Amino acid sequence: MSILYDEGQQAIATESRRVLDARMDKGRLLKLLEQVGEHDQPFWDTAVEQGWTALAIPEEHGGLGLGLIELGLVAQACGAATSGAPFLTGGYGVSQGLIQGSDAALAAEWLPKLAAGETTGCVAFAEGNAALPPVAGVTFADGKLSGTKPAVAGGLKADVALVWADAAGQPALVLADLSGATRTAVDSYDNTRLYADLAFAGTAATVVALGDAARKLALDVMARMAVVTAHEQVGGAEALLYIARDYAVTRKAFGQPIGAFQSIKHRIAEMYGLVEIARANCIHAAAQEGTDEFLLAAADARISATEAYDTNSRDCVQIHGGIGVTWEMGLHLHMRRARSLAVECGNLLFWEDVLVNELTGEKA
Amino acid sequence: MSELDTYREKARAFLTSMAPKYAREARVGNTVEQDLALGREYMAAKYDAGFGGINWPVEMGGQGLTHLHKITFDAEEMQFGMPNVFFGISLGMPVPIIMHYCEDKAWVKERVIKALRGEEIWCQLFSEPSGGSDLAALRTRVEPDGNGWKMNGQKIWTSWAQYCDYGVIVTRSDPTVEKHKGLTYFWIDMKAKGVDVRPIKLAGGDSHVNEVFFDDVRLEDSQRLGAVGGGFGVALHTLMIERYIATDSGGFGPHLDEFVKLAKDTEINGKPAIEDGRIRSQIARNHAMRGGLDSITKRAFAMMMAGMQPGPEGSLQKLVAVRSRQKLSELAMDMKGNESLAFDPHAYVKTDWGASWLNAPTGRIAGGSDEVLLNTIAEKILGLPQDHRPDKGVPFNAIPA
Repeated sequence: MSILYDEGQQAIATESRRVLDARMDKGRLLKLLEQVGEHDQPFWDTAVEQGWTALAIPEEHGGLGLGLIELGLVAQACGAATSGAPFLTGGYGVSQGLIQGSDAALAAEWLPKLAAGETTGCVAFAEGNAALPPVAGVTFADGKLSGTKPAVAGGLKADVALVWADAAGQPALVLADLSGATRTAVDSYDNTRLYADLAFAGTAATVVALGDAARKLALDVMARMAVVTAHEQVGGAEALLYIARDYAVTRKAFGQPIGAFQSIKHRIAEMYGLVEIARANCIHAAAQEGTDEFLLAAADARISATEAYDTNSRDCVQIHGGIGVTWEMGLHLHMRRARSLAVECGNLLFWEDVLVNELTGEKA
Repeated sequence: MSELDTYREKARAFLTSMAPKYAREARVGNTVEQDLALGREYMAAKYDAGFGGINWPVEMGGQGLTHLHKITFDAEEMQFGMPNVFFGISLGMPVPIIMHYCEDKAWVKERVIKALRGEEIWCQLFSEPSGGSDLAALRTRVEPDGNGWKMNGQKIWTSWAQYCDYGVIVTRSDPTVEKHKGLTYFWIDMKAKGVDVRPIKLAGGDSHVNEVFFDDVRLEDSQRLGAVGGGFGVALHTLMIERYIATDSGGFGPHLDEFVKLAKDTEINGKPAIEDGRIRSQIARNHAMRGGLDSITKRAFAMMMAGMQPGPEGSLQKLVAVRSRQKLSELAMDMKGNESLAFDPHAYVKTDWGASWLNAPTGRIAGGSDEVLLNTIAEKILGLPQDHRPDKGVPFNAIPA
């Protein structure tokens, strides 16, 4: 895969940015922050209408047959707009589980619906504070799931979930129809992520992978979602960089634009550095999809993108001073999203360990 | 295989053939003078093998290939640790500048070939005690002297001047106009009467930089490069020549593999350091940072191959890589504990953490300090305003000293 975007990919980037610029509304997103259990439907309608749900699903299953590079570019635009629903990444995780899993009929049943946006998916691997527990507490036996997955992104409204479970002592990845689960909404600092505790009590589920194959596939699904998320984080971090820049050239203090003070301009130059390093890692990781280098590249992308988005949201607010901490200014939309994305699909601690395991063969 | 891949293989074959005599491992324990002598031999062999002046015009003694061929060769050469450090500035900036500005082409061609073969070395005399980052604040002055010029003043931080035959220099020819406008650029003979070179011993123990004093040094007007008063433009041109040189995401210090190796061989609290979360976190952060820089480099290369202009993000390389090398070196020394207190001033900065740490500050200052690089990114890439400059619009001789 090339590390230079071709014309089609550049068009996807430009068009997704253009559509979201035209349709996203900060006021709408601010209202949603205070409503538990609501997402931004206009965003999701746009995602489906633009075919973003179909992007990375094979053509034989009704998708567009593109890959991580294209989905990453869309995610970047969504990140810049603090998009209002988590289904794009979750749906991608579910579809990758199905594509690489052992049940072709199951894949043929769900992939076209995911591609069309009729079905939404989420990924429920984490338990406690572990992103991917060595042995899952949720159990799977006789086609049924039992146990609870806490604060699953998209869990409150998704139709299906890819679940990390324990099947009589061996790991299992299973697909569960969430109409058979109990969902309890989590009141969060970033409510459009639709976090919910998913309780399974004999919920029907179908095996996607078992044993070592399940462990391997779970990590691959996480790495792929991490690369999509990293693009989203880069989009957010870049948006903050330019919000900070624009403010610094207009806001005056002590008789000059504050951007003329090195304490401000150097901070903004550092923000640029973090964005470009993370972006370069994202481009590299997306191009490594399916190779032996992918996991390491995904960890690089995820770590640098988390650092970029967290730092830039911190520093962009700081550069704004008082106005930056107001509800109406809305920088906290990015601040909240930087944190929710940093924690979802494996935090920094998790990815640092994945990286070092992969690089050195030594576990903590 | 692409033409560049073939070229890379050819380069590697040549370098491998040179390694037994000239590579880093063959020169352990050498003095600087011994290395310089070997370096001159190596440069001559490199020229004879067709790897000198790779992207310079054939009519000037170069090979007439592209910039991509040049950085391909440089990236390979860097891995061998050849004794080429004495010639980097000479061939990087002064010699290209005389090729561009000097009118006596036969003389220039002779200089170019001798410089490529390591027989002559050129230095760049820009920084002064009163102006490093603020280049245009320089005070070395020239006055008309018959049909030529007379020069007095002092330069500092001039790399390898003690071994140089020639140099390029920016001087003040008119102190009554704004500081940028009163500068004129020349080439000079470093062996001329009135030129006095005094090495400066640096914190790490070596003396590759110098003070250079000028006492009534005679310059012919034919030594002038560019217009009288046009020296700042020529100086900027000089600094722009090598924008896409071979980079090193390790900040010209040890590779991350060296750190991993140390972490595997060292214990903390009775367990291998590689299992310690503090060490692991730094390995991961540094890997992600260096991976990003490497990807920026690869993308710049791919863009150049596609005939496009690489993005401005290449300007992050030195800034990010060197300061993180400095911190990683400190952590490596901490990991070794008291064993890190033994110090060898001649150790190689790419394999020794102590040497890497002690020499890192030079990397953060030379060739644009961190602060100047941040200003450049902020102003040139992001469009932020310049700092307040009280000397703006003021004649040089009216600026408070």
